[in-house]
Amino acid sequence: MHRRRFLQLSLAAGLAASLPGCGRGDPLRVGIHPWIGYEPLYLAEEFGWLPDTVQLVKGSAARDSMSGLLSGQLDAAALTLDEALRVCSAGVDLRLVAVTNVSVGADMLLVRPDITAIEQLKGRAVGVELNGVSGVMLLHLLERAGLTTGDISVVDIPVDQHLEAWNNGLIDASVCYQPVAARLEQAGAVSLFDSRELPDTIFDVLAVTHRAEGRQPGPIKDLVAGHFAGYRYLVRNLHDAVYRIATRQGMAPELIRQALATVMLPDLAANQRYLAKNGTIETTAIRLAGLLEREGLMDKHPEHERIASQQFLPRRAE
Amino acid sequence: MSWLSVLAGNPGRAIALLVLLVLAPLPVAAEADSVTLGVLGYRPAPLVMAKYQPLADYLSRETGRDITIRVLAQEEMDRAVASNRIDFFLTNPAHFLMIRSERSLTGVLATLQRDWNGITTGSIGGVIIARAGRSDIQTLEDLRGKSIATPGLHYLGGYQAQALELQSAGLDIRRDNRIIYLGNHDRVVRAVLTGDTDIGFIRTGVLEELLQEEPGLETALKVINAQNLRGYPFRLSTRLYPEWPLVSLPHVDSRTIRQIASALFALEPDDPAAVAAGLASFAPPADYQSVEHLTRSLRLPPYDQVPQVTWLDVLHQYRLWVAVVTVLVLLLLATSIWLGRKKRQLSRESRRLQELVASWPQPMLMIRGRALSDCNRAAVELLECRSAADMLGQPLERFSPESQPDGQDSARKLVGLLQRVQVGDVAQSEWLFCREDGSHVWVDMTLAPVYENDDDTPSVLCSWYNITRRKQAEERQRLALKVFENAREAIFITDAHGVVIDTNEAYFLITGWDRNTAIGRLPPLPVDEGSSILVAARKHGVWSGEFASRNRDGRRLILSLTLSSVVDDQGEKSHFVGVFSDITRLKETEKKLRTMAHYDALTNLPNRVLFAERLQQAMAQARRQEYRLAVLYIDLDKFKPVNDAFGHDAGDQLLVEVARRLRTVLREEDTLARLGGDEFAAIVVNVADVDAIENLMDRLLTAVAEPVWVADHMVEVSASVGYTLYPQPVELDGDQLLRQADQAMYQAKNTGRNGYCGFSGTGS
Repeated sequence: MHRRRFLQLSLAAGLAASLPGCGRGDPLRVGIHPWIGYEPLYLAEEFGWLPDTVQLVKGSAARDSMSGLLSGQLDAAALTLDEALRVCSAGVDLRLVAVTNVSVGADMLLVRPDITAIEQLKGRAVGVELNGVSGVMLLHLLERAGLTTGDISVVDIPVDQHLEAWNNGLIDASVCYQPVAARLEQAGAVSLFDSRELPDTIFDVLAVTHRAEGRQPGPIKDLVAGHFAGYRYLVRNLHDAVYRIATRQGMAPELIRQALATVMLPDLAANQRYLAKNGTIETTAIRLAGLLEREGLMDKHPEHERIASQQFLPRRAE
Repeated sequence: MSWLSVLAGNPGRAIALLVLLVLAPLPVAAEADSVTLGVLGYRPAPLVMAKYQPLADYLSRETGRDITIRVLAQEEMDRAVASNRIDFFLTNPAHFLMIRSERSLTGVLATLQRDWNGITTGSIGGVIIARAGRSDIQTLEDLRGKSIATPGLHYLGGYQAQALELQSAGLDIRRDNRIIYLGNHDRVVRAVLTGDTDIGFIRTGVLEELLQEEPGLETALKVINAQNLRGYPFRLSTRLYPEWPLVSLPHVDSRTIRQIASALFALEPDDPAAVAAGLASFAPPADYQSVEHLTRSLRLPPYDQVPQVTWLDVLHQYRLWVAVVTVLVLLLLATSIWLGRKKRQLSRESRRLQELVASWPQPMLMIRGRALSDCNRAAVELLECRSAADMLGQPLERFSPESQPDGQDSARKLVGLLQRVQVGDVAQSEWLFCREDGSHVWVDMTLAPVYENDDDTPSVLCSWYNITRRKQAEERQRLALKVFENAREAIFITDAHGVVIDTNEAYFLITGWDRNTAIGRLPPLPVDEGSSILVAARKHGVWSGEFASRNRDGRRLILSLTLSSVVDDQGEKSHFVGVFSDITRLKETEKKLRTMAHYDALTNLPNRVLFAERLQQAMAQARRQEYRLAVLYIDLDKFKPVNDAFGHDAGDQLLVEVARRLRTVLREEDTLARLGGDEFAAIVVNVADVDAIENLMDRLLTAVAEPVWVADHMVEVSASVGYTLYPQPVELDGDQLLRQADQAMYQAKNTGRNGYCGFSGTGS
């Protein structure tokens, strides 16, 4: 299934080359989808801190952003590190210009209450978006339990459809993330494993295409600066931000507070460290690419001298 | 307890009592077990008091202390805090920041959590209200210029939150709006309802509380810029901030704080105390930096004053920058000074240079294109123009004759020169200028390119060197050389020793020497004087004379030489210049002429002129040597018939023969002369006596009387001779002497021919 998807994606990537390129006056089109770690960007948009040079293209899940990048409809996107690597392997080279968050429990395995250990997943239907970060999560947790993908029944569906599948009884477990996880928990699912047990593995990043990097360095800086403006507001005006996030995501403010607790939002200095040459992002990317390739989730190992760049980070925090 | 509840029922008296309490000299807080909690009177005091009294009761019950609630307006609370009359206070975050900036506090103990219809929130915001009927007020923009009612500046939800929202929308309400401060939220709502103001600012929750009391307000009022945040229980117009803090004052001991805090955190939302106050619970202290940021953004107290930044602060903060800027400024200053000095120096240099060029004795000019663009005084003077203005703008050929002496057209030659210069060469040429008065000036002209102002085509720097004198000297020299070469006289130049250095052609023609043999030798010199004439020439400056010489082939020459010594610059005689001509032929002609003047052409005997000279000489000699001489006058008898009979040739032959015979009779030292026709005269020197003379007379007559063979005929002639002697008693000259002899001869002729007769003084 994912193979076929990738064939399509690769085809789209080929087509992208023939699309008319964006002119210098066009805004930087940034793919984004609901995720607690990307909230600073939404906040920045809401308060008007994103200039006209940046246009947020809102999708419902990561695949929208990925296919947008591959088809050339997007110049940048907020993605997890593994998603970014998959886009690279499909032929669109990306540069990681900011780390929006590090998952510390945001990505999780939710199961029906009768399942109390990972080993009990054997033979059960597990909902997972293989091409998304939950695929990585699944691989990691199976590895932890000594299982392989062959031991379980993989139901590869987008994360935003997990609740429906759960309610319909199609899956017994779900590898997902907030806010879907919170909704599943409301539907009776319990958490069995989360990304707190995989420290410094699941990153969310802002990725830009090499093409955009060359042609629109200014808008990329605007994008990153917008992220940090939203980040500052989130941290400083948490009282207000929580309600605004809750309003956008249609969830109770309390759940938002809980969700925020599952991600670390690195500040500017932490970003400098993460994105440094041979820093955490680069080493993790190499490791992750190896894992994905081994599992057949990625066609080829993307070869980058440097996948991360610090040059678009603001010079100093305001 | 009881009097407080009584007071709650009678608001008017309660306020009076509160005033009394505030003014009471002894602070309640001083009592050991009693604790006073000040609460901001954000709404009418009795209302607030009623809300919070259950909380005080709860705290008293939990801590075992006497907890008193005091509802205070902001100023009252400020004073109470200043005099430590309260131990804890509960106020809005903006006011808290104000107090905190004035006093150091132990800090926030807890943050209030409000409850509304089962929804809890720890956030507070602002509400902007207007009357529902005001259709002209819909958005934040519409607030421009409207009157505003607010409880006060230090109300977060009652002023500051709205102010920031409006500031973000581009409205400065402090400048553009009339603002009325009413002290609490109820009055604000009243003011809006009565139409006293267009707009009211109140905090979140107040409207909902009022609606409970007066449901009619729902339709009377509307909220501007409603936010509708999910999960937030109140109407809202602004962003949200943390709720009221509960703050302990520094004088409160830590045990009391601990007790109060634990009691507060233990308060459950369903506790009557909580329900009464409309609060859910107390949460750990929130982060109030967002409020600080808000107040800072609005520049409201306590952040209204921009901190006095001293130079030292700046220096400390921006040490590196200050250092860098200082260094840069110093560098700039140094550079400016340096540049200024360089500039002055440069302008001095350039002025000096200009003056130098202007007063340079050698003419200098600048040519741009074809025309003169600049020139110095020397150039003006050289061409004898009136001023530089007469020259500038003119082409150079304007001052030149039509064509140059080498035959080239002036204008065309100049174009050629300028073209060479414009490709970068330096051109040099002699040039003839023509002044206005027609006189000519020769210059040696040098043209060099000068690249100015990054022009592609260079200007031309032109300098002149006046070579008119040199040219004239060359002309003279050439002329002199021509004279030297073409003179018919031989000219030679020798060194100080007389050795020939140079000669002209005539020298070789006259001497027969060629150049190789002539140079390095002495010139022809007189044989007897030799090189002593050099000495004479050196001494007198010149020597001239004639002398005999020989040419190379041995032919005799007579040369007339003038030898001059040449004086060098040091006054030394360094050279000799000799000029000579060949006068050999002249001398021969002269000799011939002299012979013709003194001798008879037929007989080669001296003629009458030479005879007279010789007679003078002989007479002088006779006087000196005291001897006697005799003068004889001889005339042939019957010569004319011979001449007539046999012709002139025969007569001439006869005369030649007679002369020869007479000559042989006379001695060598005697002179025989033919005076003309058939008359001869003779001077006989050293005459001993009359006998010797008479003896000589006889021999003469005999010799003449001998027959002569002329023209194939035998002819016989005779002579008559008269003589006289010298000296005589009376001194007389040669003519007289000859006349005496002539007279004696006529006497002899008269006495019969072929005889002689002596002069006898007075005619004897």
